[in-house]
Amino acid sequence: MIVSDERERVISVKDVTMEFHLSTYNPSGLKDYLIQAVKRKIEYRRLFALYHVSFDVYKGEVVGIIGTNGSGKSTLLKIVSGALRPTSGKVIVDRKKVQLLTLGTGFDMELTARENVYLNGSIIGYSKEFLDKHYNDIVEFAELQDFMEEKVKNFSSGMVSRLGFAIATAGDAAEILILDEVLSVGDEFFRKKSLARIKEMIHGGSTVLIVSHGMNTILDNCSKCVWIEKGELRMVGNPKEVCEAYRHMEENENAVGA
Amino acid sequence: MKGKFSDILQYVFVIRELTSREIKRKYARSSLGIIWSVLNPLLMMVVISLIFSTMFKRKIENFPIYFLTGQTLWGLFSGATNAAMTALVDNKTLLIKAKLPKHTFILSRVYTSLVNFGYTCIAFVLMLLIFRIKPSFTMLLFPICIVFALFFSIGIGYFLATLYVFFADIKHLYGIFLTLLMYLSAIFYPVDSLPEAMQLVINWNPVYLQILFARECVMYGHFPEGWVWIRLVIWCIGSLLFGMIVFKSKENKIMQTI
Repeated sequence: MIVSDERERVISVKDVTMEFHLSTYNPSGLKDYLIQAVKRKIEYRRLFALYHVSFDVYKGEVVGIIGTNGSGKSTLLKIVSGALRPTSGKVIVDRKKVQLLTLGTGFDMELTARENVYLNGSIIGYSKEFLDKHYNDIVEFAELQDFMEEKVKNFSSGMVSRLGFAIATAGDAAEILILDEVLSVGDEFFRKKSLARIKEMIHGGSTVLIVSHGMNTILDNCSKCVWIEKGELRMVGNPKEVCEAYRHMEENENAVGA
Repeated sequence: MKGKFSDILQYVFVIRELTSREIKRKYARSSLGIIWSVLNPLLMMVVISLIFSTMFKRKIENFPIYFLTGQTLWGLFSGATNAAMTALVDNKTLLIKAKLPKHTFILSRVYTSLVNFGYTCIAFVLMLLIFRIKPSFTMLLFPICIVFALFFSIGIGYFLATLYVFFADIKHLYGIFLTLLMYLSAIFYPVDSLPEAMQLVINWNPVYLQILFARECVMYGHFPEGWVWIRLVIWCIGSLLFGMIVFKSKENKIMQTI
């Protein structure tokens, strides 16, 4: 703890709670909604996707986030990247430096790969000059030299995720890189290449957040691990210890289930 | 200061990228491409003129121009609002990553419609020349009319885009509403052929007011009357305020739902 305080804090999640109002009845349309509203049949169920979660991330760390499905990991990433506002609490982070990379990359299937690089790049905050300058690097890293004028709908899912990764990590723009289940797709070769690139970025002073179900990805690459379970923070610390505890819980639950 | 300036540059870059995407998609499979934006209103004009011009022969001089003025402005409004309605839902995955304010997506759809309108104006100017409409200084007021149309469309666009996130049905409902509004916009008939009560209503129709404004300054070389200006200003401010308030108040809810 004493060591941590000397380093530069880049993300600070402070007592974040995210509450969703889930309608127990899903209206199929406006008419239906009005009818049910008049009948007062619409009730809401409160769901805490995150409940008083706090932790800090320091510069140069690689933080793994684990937890069972629906435990609030993706919600947390969306809040950190600024796409969602938490119900209470706050996240201190420079949004401009954050690059969020998810599996749904937001490519337009009808456009060519080149057009998508510019469209996607502009949306995630790259300027035209930046994209012009790094265009060749992006193509080279994604290994799509002969495919850039092809429509993305003809690409395999591996090619799409390669391109997405290449854009998000272009240049040294992303000081904080958030990867949501990205490393679990693609072939082994590209995964290694991606991990190498991430290590390179960390050397360049970047900070990385990884959400993954693959324990090995977390154990091999992370310097810190955050475990979230049913919206609550269970554990923060050394990846080995946290993963061990997580596995232990899983085994216990399976035993109870059986 | 420098930060602000590069923000604006980025804004322009994103809107241009999104717009070029829309236009590429729209004409992806047609060989004439954007020329359709010029041809479409001309063909409409020919058909409508063949049918209606003899009906209103004594009342409307230069019927094709009368119709074309109405049709182009109507196209701008209906095109912009229809496209803006689905702007947020269509760009789901990009919304999460967007570094710029989320309303950029709505604005880009309206801008796309404006670009289309630009092409339609080629047809319009061509017809003005062919029908030897006398050039007048009041024609310089036409851009003001476009500004009125844009601001009004943006406000409605904000409102529809928000509503569409929660109720997809609104798309069909709005289609019917548009048809109704179109018949109330005096695109192909003279207003004084309507009963007086109806004329009172139509004189408050924002789209009709825009069309009236354009006809006055382009066709007849008149300076539009004061009441037309006042009503247009009221509609623009009202629509913008209403749209922005609805959008802003639901912004976080949109991100949760989408």
